[in-house]
Amino acid sequence: MRRKTHSLQANQRTYAWLMGLPGIVMLITFVVLPLLLGAFWSLTNKRLISPVPTQFVGFENYRNLLSIKTLQVEQDNPEKIREILRNDSEYRGYRELFRMKGPHGTRLVLASDVVFLKSLRNTIIFVLFIVPGQGGAALILALLVNRKIRGRNFYRATYFAPVVTSMAVIAIVWSFLYNPSQGVINVLLKKMTFGKVSDIGWLVDVRYALPAIIIVSAWQATGFQMVIFLAGLQNIPVHLYEQAGIDGAGEFQRFRYITFPQLRNTTIFVVISTTILAFRVFTQIDVMTHGGPENSTSSVVYYAVEQGFRQQRIGYGSAITMIFFVFVLGVALLQNFLLKSEKAID
Amino acid sequence: MKTVKLVVVMLTALAICGVFAGGSGETPADGAKELHLWFHGGTADETEAMRDQIKRFNDSQDGYVVVMTEIPGGAVAGSGYNDSVNAAAVAGDLPDILDLDGPNLYNYAWAGYLEGLDGYMSEQLRSELLPSLIDQGTYRGKIYAIGQYDSGLSLVGRVSLLKKAGVRIPRSIDDAWDLDEFVAALKALQALPEVEYALDCKMNYGAGEWMTYAFSPVLQSFGGDLIDRDTYQSAENILNGPKSVKAMNFLQWIFENGYSVVSPPDDNEFVNGKAALGWMGHWVWKGYHDKFGDDVVAIPMPDFGSGAVTGMGSWAWAVSSQSKHPEGAWKFLEYILQPEEILAITDINGAVPGRSTALEKSTLFGNGGDLNIFVQQLQKGVAVPRPKTPGYPAITTAFYTAMDNIIKGSDIQSELDAAVDAIADDIRQNNGYPVQ
Amino acid sequence: MTDRLGFKPHFYRIASHAVMILFALYFIFPLVFMIVSSFKSEQRIFSDLKTIVFAFLPTEFTFENYAYVFHRVPFWRFFFNSVFVTASTVILGLFINSMLAFSLARLYWPVKKIVLSFIIAVAIVPLETIAVPMLVLVNHLPWFDGSVSWLDTYRVQIFPFAAEAFSTFLFYQLFIGIPKEIDESCYVDGVKPFRIYWNVTLPLSKPVFATVTILQSLAIWNSYLWPLMVTRTESVRPLPIGITALYVLNMRWGHILAFASLITFPMLILFVLFQRWFVQSIASAGLKG
Repeated sequence: MRRKTHSLQANQRTYAWLMGLPGIVMLITFVVLPLLLGAFWSLTNKRLISPVPTQFVGFENYRNLLSIKTLQVEQDNPEKIREILRNDSEYRGYRELFRMKGPHGTRLVLASDVVFLKSLRNTIIFVLFIVPGQGGAALILALLVNRKIRGRNFYRATYFAPVVTSMAVIAIVWSFLYNPSQGVINVLLKKMTFGKVSDIGWLVDVRYALPAIIIVSAWQATGFQMVIFLAGLQNIPVHLYEQAGIDGAGEFQRFRYITFPQLRNTTIFVVISTTILAFRVFTQIDVMTHGGPENSTSSVVYYAVEQGFRQQRIGYGSAITMIFFVFVLGVALLQNFLLKSEKAID
Repeated sequence: MKTVKLVVVMLTALAICGVFAGGSGETPADGAKELHLWFHGGTADETEAMRDQIKRFNDSQDGYVVVMTEIPGGAVAGSGYNDSVNAAAVAGDLPDILDLDGPNLYNYAWAGYLEGLDGYMSEQLRSELLPSLIDQGTYRGKIYAIGQYDSGLSLVGRVSLLKKAGVRIPRSIDDAWDLDEFVAALKALQALPEVEYALDCKMNYGAGEWMTYAFSPVLQSFGGDLIDRDTYQSAENILNGPKSVKAMNFLQWIFENGYSVVSPPDDNEFVNGKAALGWMGHWVWKGYHDKFGDDVVAIPMPDFGSGAVTGMGSWAWAVSSQSKHPEGAWKFLEYILQPEEILAITDINGAVPGRSTALEKSTLFGNGGDLNIFVQQLQKGVAVPRPKTPGYPAITTAFYTAMDNIIKGSDIQSELDAAVDAIADDIRQNNGYPVQ
Repeated sequence: MTDRLGFKPHFYRIASHAVMILFALYFIFPLVFMIVSSFKSEQRIFSDLKTIVFAFLPTEFTFENYAYVFHRVPFWRFFFNSVFVTASTVILGLFINSMLAFSLARLYWPVKKIVLSFIIAVAIVPLETIAVPMLVLVNHLPWFDGSVSWLDTYRVQIFPFAAEAFSTFLFYQLFIGIPKEIDESCYVDGVKPFRIYWNVTLPLSKPVFATVTILQSLAIWNSYLWPLMVTRTESVRPLPIGITALYVLNMRWGHILAFASLITFPMLILFVLFQRWFVQSIASAGLKG
């Protein structure tokens, strides 16, 4: 008998390798290998096209991406500041990221790659708006369409429809909707406010471009999270509500003490997956704004593609994606931690 | 369930076939050699004309068959043509013949991806080509690309509107508007009730090569430039110098005061009569003329102080150094550089024919022709080539990024400083683009 | 009957419908505008904008824009490319991922733990982090026909996405829940593992196959970054790249909107037909993930 188990195991082991190998090989080839190559190239000055040989440059790319200096000036005189920035060798190649005014003059924060840090900032702002905004809207929609009311299938389909459309297409259509003078949105706003709001430069004004991108993104993806919440809601045991009904709990109390706690896992999943998806924002930016105006819509991924692909700076682009990866990894580990801690509570 | 299985099996079979099937099906007959050609994908008519040309070449001889691949996206930034060429170059997968947008060729020539054409070119052809074409196609003393045509850039206006607004219409570059006259014209045209705004700058093309091509001449006419043209090593105090700042100030003024718009909804603002003047490239002339007939007139570029300046350089043909049949590729270039073949394409896209013998036969560009201004601009040295350096891709990106921001209201000096830094960074990263 | 605030239940019903209709309008207006306008002439699109209401009504019905799209771009070629790449990737992926999951969940495999954590780790890596090095990599990959690069082919759009860690994980979660007794009785009869996978496990896991199919199809059908980087000719380009090329090339909104509608219709129709499947698969992915 023991012998038989042994040969069965051996047999299974062969099959396990045979059946598992295609997947493992492909994951190694198309995920692990590029990741390692990228990690290595991020330490070089590799370019796509260049007769100049690639050199190992250590952490130069990372230093370039992340270096920050401050400069204290007594007077806020643009010409004076410019003179320092352009002529003082210590600040050569540094540009102003932002400035803080204090009692003893102005403190300038300078960065050697302002665009990257702005892209990082934009991405974080994007995530901070998308995750609660889109997640909250999705939860409200899910609660609305989870009730037994007429036409709920129609509503569900409507809210979900944008999810099946392609972001590249959506971005093009919305660019038209956003046109300052001839776009539906501005015309609509103008009519609704009787001319008080008009000619908003949605994609061309530094103040509105990122919000415009956030609106499109939320429009496209809210339905997705709504469905996940919907599934979570339907998974809540009915008897909990029945019990609450007997206890005379109101609608809000039922949400507060039953629905919301029961949705904990779903909420964690939605928050984490939305965060990771939001970090990856690229298509709408590439189609609608090319990161402009004044890099106000450039995202980390957009900048990585711009540098690594369009500007052919493989090394620099790889360094950007590595930093990006650290962020994604952090979020994923956070999810792991949250789910583990929940299990501990149970 | 059976049908589902059947569908799965069929799709799987299809998948396997497709994955393993090779490239395109067209195989040349009886020993003719295949030449692959990439075309950047112009307008529908241009592509059609190109197809006809290739067909005529294929029919005219037995040695070679040219197979064209149209790569759509054209000159617009980030849309693919240059990216495709770059990727193919790295993979050793370049076609025999390809067209390149003017200044991009220096980078490819520097990297060694292009075949020098001097050895192939006859003296006669060389003497008949527009000097501007030879100039643009040459890198470090060798010719790497030849265009069938050069480009034309000018203003365009409606005679009726200009007359109504009381604006003088210059007919040759010698009496081009100066800065004050141009400003006065913008103001007068803007005031007309039938006009929505004065000048269509084609900003619908987006931040890309159009901005460098069409508006770096403004820098130059104000006395500034993109880079130090003696060394091509620095743009400091040139692109961000006071003259360039002044030029960009003027451009920003145009947009901030509504004389032009940052994001027109489409490509038809002039044709639809919304804009009175257009800042135009030769390729739109035909459409304008079809719409307005003799009411439309090409106006030379204004002189902003340091002389009128216009852009030059267009798509030009090059032979890849990876080609196995460079002599065949050259044969094709020679064929399409014949005067009648040049005219076959310029009649459609409105570009300046690239050969004197072709130019003579053209009604559009000959003396008194509607677009004779384009020829004058090229011949009288008004046209300035974009910087002839392998670093051009970085220069143009830096400039159009800055310009895009500036017309949307950004601080001019800091945008230009940033552009200068980006150019310096690129040059440093490439060790100063050493001669290979 | 009124509640504490003095409102009739009637009021709440109407109010919630009003809120839901407002949301519905928000989610649907771009699509309505796109489809309605695609049947209008260029002048009509712009003139209808002035009154705004007409912009959402079919005030004109012409196929001119569609005719132009079919004339100007090889729409059916793009369409075929998209269908083909999507179908190939998904089908190939179903096999590869479910087999890997099967060997992890159902077979004796000493390195199982390592492979499983490997897959969970790989699931975290987004395409965006590896796109650039992968571009260089596929640029130098050989193929059976003697070519030295994968650029501008179908295979470069298919193979990198066939094996997918998240799908494998979904399969694994389902397979691990199937009682082991079924397998064991088979082994006693001398049935080989592959047969068990094919004849026993697969038929039991249709729902997760539907889930993976739908999620993967949506992702591949709508993918943009990767085909943008690796395709250049119309012969292999998918629809989303086709439309952006037209968008930058030619700025007639009627044409663009017609093309946009054409791309959107297939998925929209599939969605309307199989609405329940779509919703269920995403829901189950959410619950298990």
